Amino acid sequence: MHALIQGVILGILTGGVYALMASGQTLIFGIMKVVNLAQGAMVIMAAYLSYQLFTRFGVDPFLAIPITTVLMFAFGVGVELLFLRPLRREDKSELSLLVTFAVALLIEGVLSVTWGTTYRSINASYANSSWTLWGYQITVVRLWAFVLSLVALGLLFWLLNRTRFGRAVRATVQNPQSARLLGVEAQWVSALGFGLGAATAAAAGSVYGLLYPFYPGSHYDLISRLLSIVVLGGLGSVGGAVVAGVIVSTSSAIVAATISPAWSEMTFFVILILVLLIRPQGLFGNVDRGAI
Amino acid sequence: MTDLLSVHDVTKIFGGVHAVDGASLSVQEGTITALIGPNGSGKTTLFNIITGYLKADLGRVEFDGRDVTGSHPGRLYRQGLSRTFQQARIFPQLSVQENLVVAGGYGWRELFTSRVGRKDRERAASLLEEFRLSDVSELFASELSYGQRKLLEFAAVLMSAPRLVLLDEPTAGVNPVLIETMERHIRERNAAGITFLIVEHDMTFAMRLCNPVIVLDAGRAIFSGEPSVVQNNALVLDAYLGS
Amino acid sequence: MRLPSVLRGGVFVAVLVTVPMFGLQHWFLNLLVFVLMYATMSSAWNLVGGFAGYPSLGHAGFFGIGAYTIALIFKDHVLTTGYEPFLLLPLVGLVGGFIGWPIALISMRTRADVFAIVTITFLFVVQTLAFNLHDLTGGSQGAALPIPPFPAATFELPFYYVLAALLILTMGLTFATMRSKVGLSLVSIRADEDKARGVGVPTMGVKVLAFSVSVGITAMVGAVWAYYQSFIYPQFAVDPLVTIAIVLMTFLGGRGTLWGPVLGAVILESGQQLLTYQLGAVQLYLIVYALLFLVIILLLPRGILPTIQDRLRLRRRRRRADAAGAPPGDPTPSSEPDTASMLGGGAS
Repeated sequence: MHALIQGVILGILTGGVYALMASGQTLIFGIMKVVNLAQGAMVIMAAYLSYQLFTRFGVDPFLAIPITTVLMFAFGVGVELLFLRPLRREDKSELSLLVTFAVALLIEGVLSVTWGTTYRSINASYANSSWTLWGYQITVVRLWAFVLSLVALGLLFWLLNRTRFGRAVRATVQNPQSARLLGVEAQWVSALGFGLGAATAAAAGSVYGLLYPFYPGSHYDLISRLLSIVVLGGLGSVGGAVVAGVIVSTSSAIVAATISPAWSEMTFFVILILVLLIRPQGLFGNVDRGAI
Repeated sequence: MTDLLSVHDVTKIFGGVHAVDGASLSVQEGTITALIGPNGSGKTTLFNIITGYLKADLGRVEFDGRDVTGSHPGRLYRQGLSRTFQQARIFPQLSVQENLVVAGGYGWRELFTSRVGRKDRERAASLLEEFRLSDVSELFASELSYGQRKLLEFAAVLMSAPRLVLLDEPTAGVNPVLIETMERHIRERNAAGITFLIVEHDMTFAMRLCNPVIVLDAGRAIFSGEPSVVQNNALVLDAYLGS
Repeated sequence: MRLPSVLRGGVFVAVLVTVPMFGLQHWFLNLLVFVLMYATMSSAWNLVGGFAGYPSLGHAGFFGIGAYTIALIFKDHVLTTGYEPFLLLPLVGLVGGFIGWPIALISMRTRADVFAIVTITFLFVVQTLAFNLHDLTGGSQGAALPIPPFPAATFELPFYYVLAALLILTMGLTFATMRSKVGLSLVSIRADEDKARGVGVPTMGVKVLAFSVSVGITAMVGAVWAYYQSFIYPQFAVDPLVTIAIVLMTFLGGRGTLWGPVLGAVILESGQQLLTYQLGAVQLYLIVYALLFLVIILLLPRGILPTIQDRLRLRRRRRRADAAGAPPGDPTPSSEPDTASMLGGGAS
């Protein structure tokens, strides 16, 4: 029982981080109808940036977030303009998925060449400290990560619901054609939206680097989890991604605590299959029959 | 005349907005019925619901006496209800002839037969002839002009010998000569027994060709009747000019 | 002047069969073995990724399944003729197909995006299982197969011929697909799946069939590779690079064509094998493949063969128009309807 509750606590804390990464991914899908297979790679890229800032300049990973966020945002906008925009012009959006996959590999390759393939981790002084509350262990890093994710998600919600940009984004997500008619500059929404997705990866990257050892190939594991979360939550639903992030993370942690850590890696795949069998559109997604 | 299609209190809500709000209408067999309404009246949404491309939140759709609410477009197609799209959706990578063959429908057993067999060619031939597409039958559909695509889409829809055809803005983006051609084809087919429900923006076309005319506003049907009556009805005028 | 397809096929088979008889060097035969491997896998991938437009990112997983299946079957076996693994290839193909069938049923119900998601996740799961199921796969220690008892002088030949046979089989299947309504259905799915479904095309059946056949073949190639290597490690048996390579090759040569994937494989795999000695590092492959892929998608999205075919079509059309004395027609669709033909039939 103790292990179970410990697992739940761990899951919820980590869930916040996954929710953050997944929300960026599902947002990109909502705006552009593109599954960004490079989301995981962007998180790892941000982790490396964070790592570099930490080891080279001694910048604390949490404090590095504003820097990495700006960098990754620019990177995201650049990727959209350079690789995805030309596809849409020629009405080849079906290839967007493969393009993001290629971008992910490109990132992995460049990271490998720059930092090599050995595992790295950001060993901040507080990385291993933890508190004990009612007999349950709460790692400092995870707690701060959770808080950070809440703040970031809060910012995201504020952005989506209280700003003009956010309104444009939501309009584009719900009904791209009407949005276009209403004068929403779809191209700007796409580019900025992708940048925003990349920015969420930045915030998550620092945390990821603190929590787990990583190497360039870590993005496969990560993207698989993120995709399962996004499918569970419903492609395009940010709220869904948040809920799903916590659910998947918690389930995974419970399995690790009660069955075995090796099988916890399969949890997200099992969840993915179950979602597709029972309710393919996810918790908050819409059934799409292709009316255009 | 019987009601071939009837829609009962259909509602569809998009993020708080009632795109279709308790809409009810019926289409009688043998007619060319128009569905008109100002922008935002919910015509397209209702259209998509009837043809199975959207699921209604509330309400019922009946076709040929059977409840087809929520049915998949494929199933409706096989039951005799087919539609065209505003943007003339054809299969660009297939030839004109192949477009017709695919629309003609085939089952599991025919899957392993020839891609375009003799029977397929025969079935498609008369339609190709009628719509003057015989010359371009081997071209890829992507190579057709917009007007030809509209004709192709219309011809394809007829391959399955439907009972009810829903046309989504058939005159959109099309020149007057082609509009006349389309009108002629619709009349000819109607005389041969096909019922039509047409969503239209072009008033003259709708009033000229269709009877009755159903008017939609703010997601529900506000009036239905002969063209001349509809044109002078206060409710209708209000819907178009007001707010 | 175009040779009829059967003649072209015959020439191809003849070339395949006779090439090794010219007393080629081992490194070249080895290169041919790998080219054949990738040509077969790309052609198989083409069925799903090219014709249907469903990009599977998990084919490498089935490659690994095939490799480990054959390794398991022959785990402590003693070979006599050395052809036993080849004889069991159909079984491996069936295993691949049986595993692929439910995957397709689950993942192809909604859209191509979801399909890609499931396949990439599947790849990762297979790799994780390969590392973790020690009893079955030997884990990171790898798995051993009996050494093929072929004479060193002609070691590569049996593998070459088996793979050549697989390639011919795959291309035969592709040809049959293109000429049947299965092919028609697949292309209609790629063109506009929702509309295809809307006119009653049996989309699920066709997609699932294509996927199962595709991964069955891929599993067979994996098995041949495993036997060729004699010792397999999980990171190479289930390697994302394999997926990337076959996707890239198919795109380069031309999706949805018969010869495109083969052409792509010949170009890229030869290039890779020849450059292996120069580059060495896997990371550089990643960058090169990724960049190549991006360049191809952006600059030559249809691939080599379709682009050539388009140019020829255009030239033929221009020549015909010139001969008829009329100005060359523009095959790209215009927004103006064809007034000439309309005037011919519009009067009432």
